[in-house]
Amino acid sequence: MASAKEIQDRIRGIKDTRKITRAMYMISSIKMQKARQKLADTEPYFFALQDQISSILYHFPEIDSRYFENGTNRNPNGKKAIVVMSSDKGMAGAYNHNIMKAAEDYVKDFEPGSYEFYCIGELGRQYLKFRGFPIADFEFTATNPSVHRARVIMEILVNKYHDGELSEIDVIYTRSVNSMKSVIEYHPLLPLRPHEFIKNDASEDAQYKSLTRDMNYSVEGDQDAVSNLYSGDFFIWPNPHHVLHQLVYNYVAGYIYGTLVEATASEENARMSAMKSATDNAEKMLAELSTQYNRVRQAAITQEITEIAAGAQALKRAKKKAVR
Amino acid sequence: MKTFELKVLTCDRTFYDGPCEKLLFPATDGQMEILADHEQMTASIEIGEMKFKTPDSDEWQVAVVSKGLVEVDRNQVLLIAFSAERPEEIDEFRAQEALERAQEKLINQKSIVEYHVNQANLARALARLKTAGKYKAK
Repeated sequence: MASAKEIQDRIRGIKDTRKITRAMYMISSIKMQKARQKLADTEPYFFALQDQISSILYHFPEIDSRYFENGTNRNPNGKKAIVVMSSDKGMAGAYNHNIMKAAEDYVKDFEPGSYEFYCIGELGRQYLKFRGFPIADFEFTATNPSVHRARVIMEILVNKYHDGELSEIDVIYTRSVNSMKSVIEYHPLLPLRPHEFIKNDASEDAQYKSLTRDMNYSVEGDQDAVSNLYSGDFFIWPNPHHVLHQLVYNYVAGYIYGTLVEATASEENARMSAMKSATDNAEKMLAELSTQYNRVRQAAITQEITEIAAGAQALKRAKKKAVR
Repeated sequence: MKTFELKVLTCDRTFYDGPCEKLLFPATDGQMEILADHEQMTASIEIGEMKFKTPDSDEWQVAVVSKGLVEVDRNQVLLIAFSAERPEEIDEFRAQEALERAQEKLINQKSIVEYHVNQANLARALARLKTAGKYKAK
């Protein structure tokens, strides 16, 4: 059995670690709340963009753009870009491990040389580089997502796509469903699938309505105008292509910003639960160790008493002998 | 004055949501103004200064917007831009730095892609500085 001193040292060490994990837990929970707030702030913008794209597709179904899957002037022979969002730091449970596994699984069936990883976050980059996957020269982080960074990332990716260097852009990131569960999402970002926008027209219409519900209709007697939102002549300035181009840029930047924020929220969430269980575990260990310590201490005391008693008895006997 | 409903959405917030009398924004070929009862329209916005007037104030509200679009539909105007900043939110020092950086990069640009990126950065920095200078002086 370990000595009392050893156990005491161990207890002290665990207490120090617990301080750290507890602090990290607090920090993560604050960061996660911030990320959640950011996510909520960006949602109306994103839904409005989606709605505008579907509106343009609705009015100009024959539009031919390289940003759509069925566009005639897009280069189908370019590389496939896979944007992977991981974190810069560890201590987040299985968060990074899961996303790396998913990324590896994703490219399993692809021909070598037909794809390239665009890593956001240092851990993912190092892991994939170590495993010998093709990594694009692309250094960004997911920590503290900013509008500016999303725009820079978008500009790099969309310009490469525009030049035909890339034929497809996919995003892999982690989305937290609730505080307990998060899932890995695969999303094809470019080219856009027109049917995705058209098919969801009904639900997006509903979204649009909810977005504009609180606006007052100042045109009187226009009650049924709500039911057919896109009626009448559709005037677009300067031309549909220009507007669509603008929309795609905004859409991609908005989407990247959204996923950056989503990934950060999941990362902090994972770190939070990892740190929570670490703190709980430390508490359990402390409880066990303090029992052990008390036992060792008690044993030492008992032994001492036995020794003293035995010594006293021996002395007594020796005295009796001397008297006799 | 007759008003319409204006909603300005940007990537990180809802910039404005409420009644508006007139709205001025930079279109592809110059400024465009929208008043109440404007015809249905969708137009794209360039980087520059946007202004709008609300009924509760005589002052124009100003913002620097980046690329986006405006949709007008039955007196509801939806303006979607990647970002919008009020003059007082612009950090002039930072904008100046960004301007210099963009100018420097434009000189030794390597590719046509970088050229476009830098030009957009330059336009943004210039628009910010212009608006910030104009409204801070008052």
